[in-house]
Amino acid sequence: MAAFAAWLGAAVIVLSDGRRGLALGLALITVAFTLLAWMGGERIAAVALLFGGAVAVVQRLRTGLDVWRVMPPGSTPRLVLAIGGGLLALWIATSVMTGAGAPLRFAALGVVGLMGSRVLMADIKPAAVLTSLAALALSVAVASGMADTGLGPSPYIAAAVIALGISLIKVQDTNGG
Amino acid sequence: MEPELAIGLPAAGSVWAAVLQARPRAAFAGAAALGLSGLAVVVISTPGRSSEQLGITFSLSSESRSLLIAAAAALALVVALAPMSVERTLLLRWGLAGLAGMAAIGAATSLDTVILTVLVLAVLQAASVGSRPFTTRMRGPVLAAALLALAAAFARNDGPPILARLAGVGLVAGLSAALGTLPYIHQFDPAERTVTSPIPWIAFIGPVLALTVLTRARDLVPTEGAAFGAMMIGLGLLNMLWGSLASWTTEGGAAAWHYSFMADWGLALCGFGLAVADGERAALLVLYSILLSRLPLYLWSRQSLREKRPNDRPINLLAAAMLAGSAPFAGFAARVLLLRGATQLYSPLALVIGLGLLLWLPPSLRLGRSVGLPRGRQAWGVGGALAINVVIGLYPQPFLSLAGL
Repeated sequence: MAAFAAWLGAAVIVLSDGRRGLALGLALITVAFTLLAWMGGERIAAVALLFGGAVAVVQRLRTGLDVWRVMPPGSTPRLVLAIGGGLLALWIATSVMTGAGAPLRFAALGVVGLMGSRVLMADIKPAAVLTSLAALALSVAVASGMADTGLGPSPYIAAAVIALGISLIKVQDTNGG
Repeated sequence: MEPELAIGLPAAGSVWAAVLQARPRAAFAGAAALGLSGLAVVVISTPGRSSEQLGITFSLSSESRSLLIAAAAALALVVALAPMSVERTLLLRWGLAGLAGMAAIGAATSLDTVILTVLVLAVLQAASVGSRPFTTRMRGPVLAAALLALAAAFARNDGPPILARLAGVGLVAGLSAALGTLPYIHQFDPAERTVTSPIPWIAFIGPVLALTVLTRARDLVPTEGAAFGAMMIGLGLLNMLWGSLASWTTEGGAAAWHYSFMADWGLALCGFGLAVADGERAALLVLYSILLSRLPLYLWSRQSLREKRPNDRPINLLAAAMLAGSAPFAGFAARVLLLRGATQLYSPLALVIGLGLLLWLPPSLRLGRSVGLPRGRQAWGVGGALAINVVIGLYPQPFLSLAGL
């Protein structure tokens, strides 16, 4: 369930332009990653993810267009990307890759892939880029949990700090903001 | 805690310069002192020694350390001898931020730390005022971070052999996206300030980033060394061809410089892809040359490019000779080592690379002319860059030994 929640959060970020939609997507990803880290025995990492993600969500709710704007007109390619990307990540995580930890793999691959694709979209706004970056940072930390030699909570803490820091950045209007 | 200090001191210098921007002299003096302290720590550090003071394991390799020293020297050169129109404190502030990021990348023992550092550097650079939109500036580095993260995930999981190959493709593609060594990955605006343009990625942060990603790649996909090397050589040849031809034929002078960095990266990628000692030595010499000569010359040519004042004096011919990699400059030694390495691996490859090297001549003459007639500090700077390049070209062994080669 947590892995699917992470994918759903990434899909909402892909489909949204308004701050409420973006914040909802980031909140879903934060909660899902927190649960996955907690279930993996990384308690400190889970707390760090929750803190960093929660601050980023609150900051996102305070800046940008005060609307949902989930699936605005012309969102069909984004919808296809969200569903197609999720199915591809699910197939790779469960059928191509073997061994334990399929939920973690699905969540990490799905969020990394969708957030990377989101930033490449032509009509993206700075708020969506910053939200995608925060989610990408958190997913990089979660993906580090797949390493044979555990890296401990440090990548999670670093990612949480980065997500928090990114959410505080004000992009200036003069450069396209 | 040498690696932590190597990261922290330049970062503190950058923050100091940003906080005290209302008092330029104090900002410059403090930032320079902190930056020099960071350089001193890197110089006296013991390569390979691990440190875990911040909970993250850091360890500076000989190669990363040598490129960090070269990058710091390049920064010192361009800040000390910056053209009059350039604000030195601003240059130092951004240079130190980049140096701190490079130290973090070079000392990282896991690819995840490298990816997170790339994200931080990308956001810091893109959030500052520049002529390209924030969203455009973020595309290359974010694509790089996503590809590297996917590659790491593929490499770390069990499955069919295709997973390891996909991981190799992701690592090469991610590295290429970060550096901007594929056409159109990083949009280039000739009028943009250098610090916010794609130039720092390809010419300043790039060398340490490439070296670290390649080192981590060898750990992540040890069984795919041949395929990885073949991809690097292919990408290198593409960059040699595209970069040199585009640098020759493009209309804009600044764009020609940008393409020339891509062409030089072609040599470095071929060198790394050969996976023989001579290839690595050649790649390292090319990276030294990018950091210590091509990047400073680009910065000093900016004013002449803006004023459209090309020149044909002896200094311009010397600069052209250096950029073309002729003897006795460092590029010549790098090319000889590269051809020797390619001959060891597969002699027809040496022929292809040898023919490709001829493409450096026309764009180098053009770039040499674009330096204009250097005067004052700029003349000292151009002279210094040429002298450093001659020293590396005539006696490269100390510089290679510094990198443990």
